[in-house]
Amino acid sequence: MGLARGFGKIDMKRKWNWPIWIGFIIVLGGLFTYEFFAQFPFTRDFPWVNLLLFGIGVTLLLVGLFRAFGRPQVYRGKVFGSLFATISLFLFAFFAYEIFYVLRQVPLSAQAPRVGEKAPEFLLPDQNGKSVALTELLSPNGAVLIFYRGHW
Amino acid sequence: MGFAFPLLSDADAAVIRRYDVLHRGAGPKNADIARPAEFYVDASGKVHWVNLTENIAVRARPEQALNAIDAAKGGRRD
Repeated sequence: MGLARGFGKIDMKRKWNWPIWIGFIIVLGGLFTYEFFAQFPFTRDFPWVNLLLFGIGVTLLLVGLFRAFGRPQVYRGKVFGSLFATISLFLFAFFAYEIFYVLRQVPLSAQAPRVGEKAPEFLLPDQNGKSVALTELLSPNGAVLIFYRGHW
Repeated sequence: MGFAFPLLSDADAAVIRRYDVLHRGAGPKNADIARPAEFYVDASGKVHWVNLTENIAVRARPEQALNAIDAAKGGRRD
């Protein structure tokens, strides 16, 4: 009984396994800062900042897991470490699916105007409600037509 | 807002269809919206540059459009 109590005491003194928590927070940051970093072409064309955050977070989580399972008498974190690592895996899979698959699902646009062809004429209202024809936009230097979506 | 360029509205996507740059169901509530696309059309109406991205997060940079205009004008920048 004394022995059991002794173990219990050692148990309570196990160290806080910080890499599990900090790693998980960084993983969440990797996902939720995408909206912010997507505002800038430098961090949007290839989302290297978000992938870096995922990498750092997962590395810390792995360090934490090795501590929790390798030296359980010293470190806590078996339960939360496993839970956070599993959640992080799903979050990263979701992020990678969106970035490397969904964003690339673009129509072929095989019938879009090609170099050398004449651009189809149009008449559309501008921000002041005035109708604008393509021909009006073309003189004297031509025009860059940008079909865009979203706020960037 | 002080735009230095016309911001045109194609509410029924008629021109977007005419340019074949419709992305079906990609908008909010599965609305049909435009895929990102950029064209440079010269003063005579001829297309000189087409940029159809393969990744909707990757759009033309301003320098690309300026280079296309320069190339169309034979290196001159007015």
